Amino acid sequence: MKRLVLARLLQAGLVVLVVGILCFVLVRALPGDPAMRIAAGRYGPDANITEAAEVVRRELGLDQPLFVQIGASLGQLARLDLGHSVVTGLSIARELRIQLGATLWLSGSALVLSLLLGPPIGLLAGLRRGGWVDNGSLAGAIVLRSLPPFVLGLLLILVFAMLLGLFPPAGYGTWRDLALPALTLALGLAAVSSRVARDAVAAVARTPYLAFARLKGLPEPVVVRRHVLRNAAIPVISYLALQAIYLIEGVVVVETLFGIPGIGHALVHAVIARDVPMVQGTALAMGLLFVVIAMLVDLACHWLDPRPKRT
Amino acid sequence: MSIADATLVPITQRAWLTPSRRAGIALLGVLAAFALLGPLLVSVDPTEQDLAASLAPSGADYWLGADHYGRSMLVRLAYGAQLSFGMALLTVATAALPGILLGLLAAWRGGWLERILDLASTVLLALPGLLLVLILLAFAPGTFGPLYLGLALTLWIEFYRVTRVTAAGVLRQPHVEATQLLGFGTGYILRSLVLPEIAPILITLSAFAMSTAIIAISTLSAISVGLRPPTPELGAMVVELLPYYAEAPLHVLMPGVLIFLLVLGLQLATRSDVR
Amino acid sequence: MNAPVRFQSLTVSDLAISAGETTIVRDVAFTLAQGRPVTLLGASGSGKSLVAHAIMGSLPTGLSARGAITLDGEDLLAGSPAQIRARWGRTIAILPQEPWLALDPTMRIAGQVGEVHQYLHGLGSADTTTRMRSDLAEVGLGDRAQAYPHELSGGMCQRAAIAVTHAAGASLLIADEPTKGLDAALRDGVVTRLRQEVEQGRLLLTITHDIAVAGALGGMVGVMHDGALVEFGPAEQVLEAPRHDYARALIAADPAKWPSFPLPAAGEAVVSARGLAKRFGERALFEGLDVSVRRGEIVAIVGPSGCGKTTVGNILLGLVAPDHGAVERAAGLAPTRFQKLYQDPPAAFAPHQTVRQSLGDLLKLHGLDWARAEASMARFGLGRELLDRRPNEVSGGELQRFAILRALLLDPVFLFADEATSRLDPVSQKDVFAILIEAVRERGLSLLMVTHETALAEMVARRILTLGSPENP
Repeated sequence: MKRLVLARLLQAGLVVLVVGILCFVLVRALPGDPAMRIAAGRYGPDANITEAAEVVRRELGLDQPLFVQIGASLGQLARLDLGHSVVTGLSIARELRIQLGATLWLSGSALVLSLLLGPPIGLLAGLRRGGWVDNGSLAGAIVLRSLPPFVLGLLLILVFAMLLGLFPPAGYGTWRDLALPALTLALGLAAVSSRVARDAVAAVARTPYLAFARLKGLPEPVVVRRHVLRNAAIPVISYLALQAIYLIEGVVVVETLFGIPGIGHALVHAVIARDVPMVQGTALAMGLLFVVIAMLVDLACHWLDPRPKRT
Repeated sequence: MSIADATLVPITQRAWLTPSRRAGIALLGVLAAFALLGPLLVSVDPTEQDLAASLAPSGADYWLGADHYGRSMLVRLAYGAQLSFGMALLTVATAALPGILLGLLAAWRGGWLERILDLASTVLLALPGLLLVLILLAFAPGTFGPLYLGLALTLWIEFYRVTRVTAAGVLRQPHVEATQLLGFGTGYILRSLVLPEIAPILITLSAFAMSTAIIAISTLSAISVGLRPPTPELGAMVVELLPYYAEAPLHVLMPGVLIFLLVLGLQLATRSDVR
Repeated sequence: MNAPVRFQSLTVSDLAISAGETTIVRDVAFTLAQGRPVTLLGASGSGKSLVAHAIMGSLPTGLSARGAITLDGEDLLAGSPAQIRARWGRTIAILPQEPWLALDPTMRIAGQVGEVHQYLHGLGSADTTTRMRSDLAEVGLGDRAQAYPHELSGGMCQRAAIAVTHAAGASLLIADEPTKGLDAALRDGVVTRLRQEVEQGRLLLTITHDIAVAGALGGMVGVMHDGALVEFGPAEQVLEAPRHDYARALIAADPAKWPSFPLPAAGEAVVSARGLAKRFGERALFEGLDVSVRRGEIVAIVGPSGCGKTTVGNILLGLVAPDHGAVERAAGLAPTRFQKLYQDPPAAFAPHQTVRQSLGDLLKLHGLDWARAEASMARFGLGRELLDRRPNEVSGGELQRFAILRALLLDPVFLFADEATSRLDPVSQKDVFAILIEAVRERGLSLLMVTHETALAEMVARRILTLGSPENP
């Protein structure tokens, strides 16, 4: 268990490293005076920008060796000093704190919704392989997996918001605003998790231990409850670590599409505006959110499966 | 259930060309014909505007209608399909070639090469791929370069890992050891023993990577950080037409449906049978 | 719980099992009575396991049974699926093959025994715990109730499975290959345990490929071949004086009954090693081991599983490097004259190549012509129709003979047979060894064999090297 946490902490370190270095290069690659841009990002709008740029120029030297500059910039990240947006001049840490709420609400409700949809359908399909639930959910999964999230989102907007008028097409505030974006993400996630669950149940159904559980006389509901569920849950939950990638990527797209003021939305706008400190802060936040989800998944699997882990 | 007499039970051989693969290949064929032949039938420039025909419905002049600038939807969709497929193919080829070769090398030699490659893939995988692509896009928003680089950087890892794991699995088997003892060399083992075993999974993986690339490029274009109008990129077209949803709902849906059919065709054509 | 019902007899008559139109098992008839257990002997693929599942009512979907199976007058083939299922555990229990795979890997043993009391007999949690403890204590697992299956040895898992059947209360017990995957010492323990079941008044039907198990269990023995019961009678009669051809071949294939054979005096050493040591992780497999194999000699390495038998052979072949010690080969021999046979014949052939492809590539590589291969095929009793099949479409015995043929084409001086017949039925095992012994006699081949079967080693080898039992971690 220590090893699991340690591995994920290492990954978090790598996220900081990759994002930090890329943004370091980015800030120097963009046209214009890098010192000016760094100063604006670091001290915010209140500072005397020309003077601050001079300070930056002297401090970083910009003539100092590159690795010293990178070290200084990563050191700043390590102190959780994310600086200021060069567009709005606001403190990025404070912006992120506000945006994080929206992002967590969206990703959390999408995840819960997908878990309510995917695994139960997968369980039914896996228990009756070749039945109509199996075939129907397979067709549904193939269709959903072929739809890019923005097309799926648009379809949901067209049907539920414009045709039926059930939910607002965009906005943020109430649960009704959240319904369509969360459903967009959840359908994509459930398309995969239902198949993973179905295959996991099918795999458990083929095991000698399940045959023995039946042959020792247990009634079918007991067999399913005591022997199928837990064993099939292990691959489904461990697959969630991979699905976290889809979730994070989907959040970026869906927030932008539905105009939800979350971190992903801010990231896309920062990229368009080339607001490097903001790109760095939002990418970092999304990357670390991914690591946290993956770590929770690891711990859940560890708790469910008593067998010794192979390294 | 494991029954020792399983060999007595007659088995039915499964054909490679399953109905789903047949449907997928047919669908891809139709889409290829549309993308390649469509522009020949109507020789129009995809950026040529005819404001009089703005949002024209399907008809004799414009088979699939015209967009808000009066540009032929058919030509723009055909070019869009070419563009999506072409960019995805280039990206996946760039990712697959080094990925497969390095995977084979790591499985065969192991040692420091494998450790370095594993470290590189761990570093790149620490961040969800789309975030990496987004940061790279900040260097030059609206161009294909960073998209291509970012996607290839993310996708090669999957090729590398799958090749390494499957090839290492094959190489560990007794028949490889037996083949070496019988005097065969490395070339024969890689060509005749490893390649046939890993080819099917690599084909499936390539189709999967193509789907990922097509979806990623169109999605990023749809959120305005990928390719931008007037390039006939399918994702950008959807967003461009969205304000005219009330007048021409079909026009908005057409590019989306085309992306869907492309990815669906790829998925079906390489689907392996469920057990 | 009331005292369990004890049955008097199980009668099987005219049993046939078919898959669609094809009949795959036919003419099975026998009676199993109190105190006289029945053992069905046969190779894998002979249909013996299907008979067990027909009695249990657990044939795979697509298979159907005809005929009559009656347990104290009750027709087991009749009845709805629900009625059949209601008998599982309560009336008939199956002892699964490879019990370490038949126990739920994520549930403690206590739970897996206890749930039978709780859900089959509807006991409360206090009673369940008491009963579960006494069931486990009876099979000597009283202190392992909180263990997960991966924390138990193979023999302990076998006993845990027996505790489950005791909990369920069944009086007809079907043991399906109960000794599969167990080494000799554990095998005897299982047989003793099964005899106790008979003494407690349970009906016992055992399915096995192991003649020694059939002999030790006594009672009645049936021999199955190609889906038919070809001989049935009292154990001593069937095992000592079988009447049917296949039964005779099967009984004669027991290594203890093989005729002895002369070997010319052994020549100079082909390969020798001194002071070998190998560690596997923390555990020392062997230290200071000297081995040498001489021309025209058969040497066997025996010992319990996990003691490093195979590693010794692989070190001699140069496939594994020893931690200490040196291997020396006789001078002037090409590397391809040192060959190996594998435990699992299909694994030793590329799965997607037909036998013709892999043989053809070998002949081309070494500039040999087909005539030589075809001549050997005729001598080894391998038909030409096998050439166009893939390894998984050829039987294990035939494939192992192809593996020998392939090795002998390169005129080897040293052949390492790593458990080469442990997955084969006794008749195939005898065929394979006949070919190997001939090669040793006629070509002066040196054969190093690794086996866990002491009887086989004693019969075939001129020298036996016994590796010590490893201290269990």
